[in-house]
Amino acid sequence: MKTIQEIPISYIDLTDETFSVNFVPDLRRLRSSIEEIGLTQPVLLRKKHDRYQIICGFRRISIIKQIGGSDILSMVLDEEEMDDLRLFLISLHENLTARGFNTIEKAIALDKLVHQFHLDSVMVVKKYLPLFNLEVDEKILNTYLSLIQMEEEIKIYILKEGVSRTNIRRISNLSPKDRIALLSLISPLKLGENRLREILTFLEEITKRDRLTILEILKRPEIQAVLSHQELTPPQKADRMKKALMGLRYPRMRNMEEKFEKKRKELSLPSNLSLNHLPFFEGKGLKVEFQFETVEGYRTMLSALSKLTDKKEFKEILQST
Amino acid sequence: MFSFQIEKIYLDEKAENDWVAQNVLKNLSDLPVERVKDKRSLNKKLLSLSDPIGIGKRNLLITPFYGRRLKPCPGTSSHICCGYHVLNTITNCPMDCSYCVLQGYLNNPFLTLYSNWEDLFREIESFLSSHPQSFLRLGTGELSDSLALDTVFPISPVLIAFFAQRNHAFLELKTKSAEVDHLLHLDHRKRTIISWSLNPPQMIEGEETGTASLEKRIVAAQRCQERGYPLGFHFDPIIFHEGWEKGYQETIGSLFKKIDPKEVVWISLGGFRYPPQLKTIAQERFPNTKIFLGELFPGRDGKFRYLKDIRIEMYQKMVGWLRDVYPGLFIYLCMESKEVWERVLGWAPQNNHHLNQLFEERLKGFV
Repeated sequence: MKTIQEIPISYIDLTDETFSVNFVPDLRRLRSSIEEIGLTQPVLLRKKHDRYQIICGFRRISIIKQIGGSDILSMVLDEEEMDDLRLFLISLHENLTARGFNTIEKAIALDKLVHQFHLDSVMVVKKYLPLFNLEVDEKILNTYLSLIQMEEEIKIYILKEGVSRTNIRRISNLSPKDRIALLSLISPLKLGENRLREILTFLEEITKRDRLTILEILKRPEIQAVLSHQELTPPQKADRMKKALMGLRYPRMRNMEEKFEKKRKELSLPSNLSLNHLPFFEGKGLKVEFQFETVEGYRTMLSALSKLTDKKEFKEILQST
Repeated sequence: MFSFQIEKIYLDEKAENDWVAQNVLKNLSDLPVERVKDKRSLNKKLLSLSDPIGIGKRNLLITPFYGRRLKPCPGTSSHICCGYHVLNTITNCPMDCSYCVLQGYLNNPFLTLYSNWEDLFREIESFLSSHPQSFLRLGTGELSDSLALDTVFPISPVLIAFFAQRNHAFLELKTKSAEVDHLLHLDHRKRTIISWSLNPPQMIEGEETGTASLEKRIVAAQRCQERGYPLGFHFDPIIFHEGWEKGYQETIGSLFKKIDPKEVVWISLGGFRYPPQLKTIAQERFPNTKIFLGELFPGRDGKFRYLKDIRIEMYQKMVGWLRDVYPGLFIYLCMESKEVWERVLGWAPQNNHHLNQLFEERLKGFV
């Protein structure tokens, strides 16, 4: 039977997190609200032996304690009044309506339903994924369950950067050591979802092909050069990192590009004339692009183009495609 | 016979009276049969499951096909193609190769046997009579393995008998199976070419699930050669991997220990290539696949291929090893550009028609 009473915080077992799904909660707004108008809703507790167990109100209790409160308005349930699963569901529903859950909190809730309350995973998929606004799909449940196994710093990155489920799945396939190395590689960069996906793809394929760990890739000089560059902004670093990884992933293509670039430089082309190979060196020939503003400029350009035919480097570059 | 597990038969009610359907039901009388009225919702149901491609391989759909079933090989744009024609007798395949393009193309993932064979024969007859002077090449290996469903219904024997009565048309059965017992006694009149797709054992083991080993394929080819069948071999897809040279060189060595190269009609070479949608599907279905680890880039036809220099290197070496065995081998490149032909073989067909003529000449020498 529920009774409402003031309960001393010292009687509440703050270490019992059976019904908590909190992950890195942002308490600032709630704290300023409680400081200004006090607690508007009682927390929900259950009598457990000679102490109280928190069902709903972990954040509120934490704030009241932080600001020096000694008692808290509580609704108290008897020890045997309801089973744990029912209480957990009450806690979930109350939090859903009051504040919603972040990605990691959804993962904690789903993990508790499967592993702590031993619900059948098919039932969790059908009944509880929609509760969190998730599609009914076993793969989605597995993605969230894999997230729980990850290291705290990875979870924080995923939360902070809003990493997509597809990328979470890929990160979950890495070993714990590789995940930590990945974090060192991606944290200093500003990555959108697509860029993160590209970087993960490169890393997955390089590690698989060359039997390397991400840590070994991280130690490579071209990667370290990007990470330790002081002047670059995070988006610039992201661009450079993509290029560095692409070079490792496609070494023959990189060599061809470098050779082409070297020969092109030897031609000392005017700045408004560009000479390019066909995409991915597929097909024979070169593409020339130039820009001019006057008839005189056009004449100068034609003359520059014409002179190319006499250059040994030009013939070499043409032959190399 | 090639062993695989069909769990259930779905019988389109429009196919119920076809002799093909009756024959299959008799052969597989111990399997559950579900009558199907609405194929579209059946497909929709299968496509909503996880791994519909894998499940489709274990479920046989028997249905008529009223569209065209004899078509020019789709080939690919901006590349030289050989003028081959494909016959659609079955779609999908019980074998499960990681690189199979069907994974990305089929909107019906069921192992599907088409039941209206009279229509197919009529279509072939009409096509052959409209090309009386040509030496036509037709094959069933485009949308399935040619021998894959022979245990369910004798597709190949029926076709071999049909083509044996023609003078200017040739059937090619392309396979990765080694089950040829049912073909050996047939009177084929050299109008059927049986060809095997070959890869080194390491690649077969890792990337060609449910197929026969290299050794078994070669023994099967040898048995067919002893029975007078002209043979073809397709090194396609050639997969660039660590130790590829040793792998392919040894494969060629093993092949010609048992096969007389003079009786080989053609050998094709084709580097691994794939349409963009395949990678995600294949990686999901085959997490350990290594086929995408090469340096593959989109080409003019949108398909990903190895870097041109890598393809040329692979083809040049393959051609060298094959010519060392027998210089007279007829080797062609599948879906490659003129430039690559020239750099690999020192010449290139002027166009698709020219290549087709070369095939005709080759066949004339075999009959």
